[in-house]
Amino acid sequence: MRLFSLAIRSLLFYWRTTVGVILTVAVGTAVFTGALLVGDSVRYSLRRMVGVRLGRTQQALVPQNRFFRAALADELSQSLDGPVAPVLMLRALVSGGDGARRATDVQVLGVDDRFFAIGNAKPPRWNDGLAVNGPLAAKLGVKAGDDIVLRIAKPGIMPRDVPLSPDSDLSVAARRAVSAVLGPDDFGGFNLQANQVAPLNVFVPLSWLQRLAERPGQANMLLAAGDGLTAEQANQAIREHWQPGDAALEINRLETQGVAEIRSGRVFIEQPLADAAPTVAQQAFGVLTYFVNAIRLDEKATPYSIVSAIQKGATSLVPADMSDDEIVINAWLAEDLAAEIGDTVEISYYVIGPMRKLIEESRTFRVRAIVGIEGPAADPTLMPDYPGLADVDNCRNWKPGIPIDLGAIRDKDEKYWDDYRGTPKAFVTLQAGQSMWANRYGNLTMVRCPDSDPNDIAQRLTAGVDPAAVGLFFQGIRQRGLKAGAEGTDFGRLFLGLSMFLIMAAIVLVALVFVFGVERRTEQVGMLLAVGLTRRQVRGLLLAEGLLPCIDGVILGTILALLYTRLMILGLSTTWSSAVAGSAIRFHYTIATLITGAVVMYLITAASILLALRKQVSRPARELLAGQLRWQFFVTRFVHPGKVGFVVAVLCAIGAIVLAAAMGTGDASGMAGVFFGVGALLLIAGLGLCHGVLSFIAHSRKGAVSSLWGLAVRNTTRRTGRSLAVVILLAVGVFLVVAVGANRQDPMAGAGRRQSGTGGFTFYAESTVPLLHDLNSVEGLKAVGLDPNLAHTAEFIQMRIHEGDDASCFNLNRAQRPRLLGVSSLRLADLNAFSFAATLDEKPDISPWRLLVEPLDDDVVPAIADIATVTWALGKRIGDEVDYLDERGRPFRVRIVATLKNSILQGSLLIHEAHLAAKFPSEDGYRAFLIDARQDAAKAVESQLSNRLADYGVSLTPTVERLAAFSSVQNTYLTIFQMLGGLGLVVGSIGLALVVLRNVLDRRGELAMLRAVGFPKNTLSRMLRYEHWALLLAALVIGVFAALVAVMPALRAPGADVPGLSLALTVVAIAVSGMIWVALATHIALGGQMLDALRNE
Amino acid sequence: MLELIHVSKDYESPLDGQATHILRDVNLKVDSGRSLAIVGPSGSGKSTLLNIIGALDRPTSGEVRLDGEDLGHMTDAQLARIRNKRIGFVFQLHHLLPQCTVLENVLVPTLADPAGASREARDRAMTLLDRVSLADKVHHRPGELSGGQRQRVAVVRALINRPALLLADEPTGSLDKATASEIADLLVDLNRTEGTALIVVTHSGELAAHMERVRELIAGVLHSEAGL
Repeated sequence: MRLFSLAIRSLLFYWRTTVGVILTVAVGTAVFTGALLVGDSVRYSLRRMVGVRLGRTQQALVPQNRFFRAALADELSQSLDGPVAPVLMLRALVSGGDGARRATDVQVLGVDDRFFAIGNAKPPRWNDGLAVNGPLAAKLGVKAGDDIVLRIAKPGIMPRDVPLSPDSDLSVAARRAVSAVLGPDDFGGFNLQANQVAPLNVFVPLSWLQRLAERPGQANMLLAAGDGLTAEQANQAIREHWQPGDAALEINRLETQGVAEIRSGRVFIEQPLADAAPTVAQQAFGVLTYFVNAIRLDEKATPYSIVSAIQKGATSLVPADMSDDEIVINAWLAEDLAAEIGDTVEISYYVIGPMRKLIEESRTFRVRAIVGIEGPAADPTLMPDYPGLADVDNCRNWKPGIPIDLGAIRDKDEKYWDDYRGTPKAFVTLQAGQSMWANRYGNLTMVRCPDSDPNDIAQRLTAGVDPAAVGLFFQGIRQRGLKAGAEGTDFGRLFLGLSMFLIMAAIVLVALVFVFGVERRTEQVGMLLAVGLTRRQVRGLLLAEGLLPCIDGVILGTILALLYTRLMILGLSTTWSSAVAGSAIRFHYTIATLITGAVVMYLITAASILLALRKQVSRPARELLAGQLRWQFFVTRFVHPGKVGFVVAVLCAIGAIVLAAAMGTGDASGMAGVFFGVGALLLIAGLGLCHGVLSFIAHSRKGAVSSLWGLAVRNTTRRTGRSLAVVILLAVGVFLVVAVGANRQDPMAGAGRRQSGTGGFTFYAESTVPLLHDLNSVEGLKAVGLDPNLAHTAEFIQMRIHEGDDASCFNLNRAQRPRLLGVSSLRLADLNAFSFAATLDEKPDISPWRLLVEPLDDDVVPAIADIATVTWALGKRIGDEVDYLDERGRPFRVRIVATLKNSILQGSLLIHEAHLAAKFPSEDGYRAFLIDARQDAAKAVESQLSNRLADYGVSLTPTVERLAAFSSVQNTYLTIFQMLGGLGLVVGSIGLALVVLRNVLDRRGELAMLRAVGFPKNTLSRMLRYEHWALLLAALVIGVFAALVAVMPALRAPGADVPGLSLALTVVAIAVSGMIWVALATHIALGGQMLDALRNE
Repeated sequence: MLELIHVSKDYESPLDGQATHILRDVNLKVDSGRSLAIVGPSGSGKSTLLNIIGALDRPTSGEVRLDGEDLGHMTDAQLARIRNKRIGFVFQLHHLLPQCTVLENVLVPTLADPAGASREARDRAMTLLDRVSLADKVHHRPGELSGGQRQRVAVVRALINRPALLLADEPTGSLDKATASEIADLLVDLNRTEGTALIVVTHSGELAAHMERVRELIAGVLHSEAGL
């Protein structure tokens, strides 16, 4: 026989201990590895979602509110030798055929077969209908064959915020039948944003949507697939194939004028094109033509005229020596105003400010010359195609997007329009015109190239301008999506944290079970030493007996981990679904994770066994032979053992008092941390006191035990270390469960206050179709069909949206480019809305909202975000930056300058509206709103907004509900922690039962003696129960008291939703569980023929 | 072969550091093949003396020499080797391993050798077990044996490595009279046939009477031949 075979023999003989070790190691391993597998499953699900969202798409071209030839896809496909699909994507409000249910912010995707090919899916049979994806079908309650109604945000010919852009005709409606419901495998989950929550999608034939949106042959998105396709390759192909028409430019030959003319379908030519235009032909010159309100001279005024600003020296109308304060007028105007050369005329005109606020400005000019309406002065083509002007025969039918006083139009004005149409009545220098009428969309309305061929111009333009400058650039959408998933919420670590106490309890239990098994064989160990085995050999033997079952336990636990993970995923899909925003998580495991979990748990349990064994074999053989194993705890030669505990208790109590006193009146989160520290110190103090009391009683020589309860208390001191281990395990568990569980948030409490997470606002709303007007003005309310009296009962903070990744706790992916909200922050500063967790530049009297106003640098824009967005969704801190590309593909950075506490603005970065408009000028109107409603009018406001703005697809949410939804994620994590912590305490209770069994077995002889001297079995049972219930009571009192101190701030804070009942029930459950385990163990231990123990054997 | 020279043993109380004198100036000589009984009242230090002789404890002062070697200067590993090869122990509570058979229990001391039990050791085990009339129980577990049988197994275990010295601490303390007599005879017989020096600590006058010499230990002082 060898030592190893003796170890095997012992394991088999003491099978109960062996099984106990295997099972507890299995539990610990199952929980540990299971937590890691949850992480694996979430990561796998997110990775899989990239495929569901994007199919084989590698690169995507998504210019902001721009349209280009769908045929560009074919050209690029040939160049790249890979599939490229054109898509026309618009937003819509969709309702079921009966209108009963509706969905806002739906993606309407005009696609063809190439789209589905990229998605590895079969295209649906349209049958003159459309397809919806599963989530939309569920939301509307529709199936194939049912009708739905779409109200689609119609793209404007020019951006809606462009001056003179019409503010009507914002949407178009259509009713179609659902021909198919597309699942994830049908590419129904298409979404460019890295979000695991499925979007709401409608799929329609591309040609049909092009007709409906009046965008024939156009698309606004390209998806390029192809293994290894890089953005550089795709962008090179764009550079080779793009045409001016793809940037809304038209180049035509004007025979009469003898020029090739470049003009834009967006009316204003964008800056990069305008800068390049003069280089495309010799003597090319720019023109900026505007519609002015009036031209005045003294009391006379000519209404609603066209004025052209032309580059100096380009034509005879604006000679090279003309100054910027001079004007050339035509004879008609001169006659109308009775103007002469040298007179000073005033031009008044509208510019559009934020929220389409019309600001009338004016400027005076000195008449330099009067020209006849002939030659270059008789050129109606100098007026761009202003919608509502150029296509109208009668002045009185003008709808130029600004208010017109039709009463001011005279017959002669009508005649002028009939005879000369948009022929300008006056001419100024281009510099003068640009200083008056240039805007973020451009500062020219045309470029004219004398004696030039349009084809040559087109070639030179496309060669000289980077298409990225007009928004035509590909981005690595797949790589971004994979990165977002890989960097997303680490559910493995999260669940490890939530399960930590359960794992610790299992490990402690492993050590307890093993040590108890060894203690039973103390004399055997002594005998082995006595017959000449070395301590190393004996320790090795016992270690083998400990480690071998650990291997089995780890293997069993690894198998159980698969089941545990499935249970956790089931929980995440049902009861705890708010923790993952209802996402579908798929079970997945990797061998590497299984091995990692097994190895780590094996090492941890092996270490705990090694630690536990240290003292077992260090005792002298003679003591072991006599069964005198003493588990000493802090015993020193000169210090009474109990004194150590009292010293620890006093020091920690003093520390707690000092810490509490030094805390002052810091902010709530700081105070919470300090109080937690105070609670932890009190916990240690309580445990130290417990040790001191146990040791004191153990060594006390005074007094005599005179009651059963007194005897029970004395008995708890028999194995002080063992008793203390149980108290520590249970007290720490109770402390953690109560202290963490008390940190729930109730968003309802204090929600009306400005400093709360709602900002004091009543509603948060988003619209599908942008609202262009100022809803805080009577004109704005009327323009969108709202009751003007709303101005007295509600206030609106209107925000622009630049779409991006959802950076809220609902998105498991790491947001790469979070959604941007553009807000005029000064009103928020005036209201002192929301509370800040931190700011970069703290000035006591200045609201951090004002930090948004000034840009930090040319390429750096300040932003404010919710602290949860910054910390968890982005993994960043205050002062960190996020990279973006503007509308022209130029990189810029957004720097976080302040963070908000637990607010409804979670999920986006807030920047100043002006910065958003500068970086993304094509973002139309306002789509997000904070609404302050007077309390007594809130319902009426809600009703009016929901009904009257239905066509805008406005979705209104009470702010408390929105906050509650965010809080539900954190609260769900706390629920999971409570449940797992509670399980850990149940495991701890099993430890208590083991201690009971062990104690009784140790004392079988003396218990038998007590029976022999007349103690009935019931009395012995009661004594044992009292003894161990005393330990349980001590643990609960220490743990609960320390926890209550730790959570004092939470108990007193507004918004605290301490789940008193559930915590109380948890503590009661722990107490009851412990009492039951003790009673059960006592019953088992006292079974059998106890009196036999009075014999030697 | 065994000599104790002015051996004293004190224990210090962990509570107050006060020294308790267990053995005082013990002098003892035992030659090979001889037998000695040490008797004395409870608490006189008999087991302590045996532990010191058996290298399970170290004296506070004095020397313990086994075949001329001073055990006081040896390391724990060296003492373990001494106990394994040159000393055999018989305990009052046999301390057999319940998970092992009779044969395996007898071979436990051979586990100290990394190679384990040699064939020679096995043969010796069978021979000794036959000598003590347990040859038919080699594959039985201790739980299947009577008290006397278990103690006989313990005696064989103590002799497996042919020790020069056999120590027995109350070997018949937990046995009935008849069985105790059997064990006493067995010890004496093996002492004679194996040539092993035998020291027995006992309360039993009958067992002590079997030994060649008897010395009495009273309050830590080993007196010369006790009158029985």
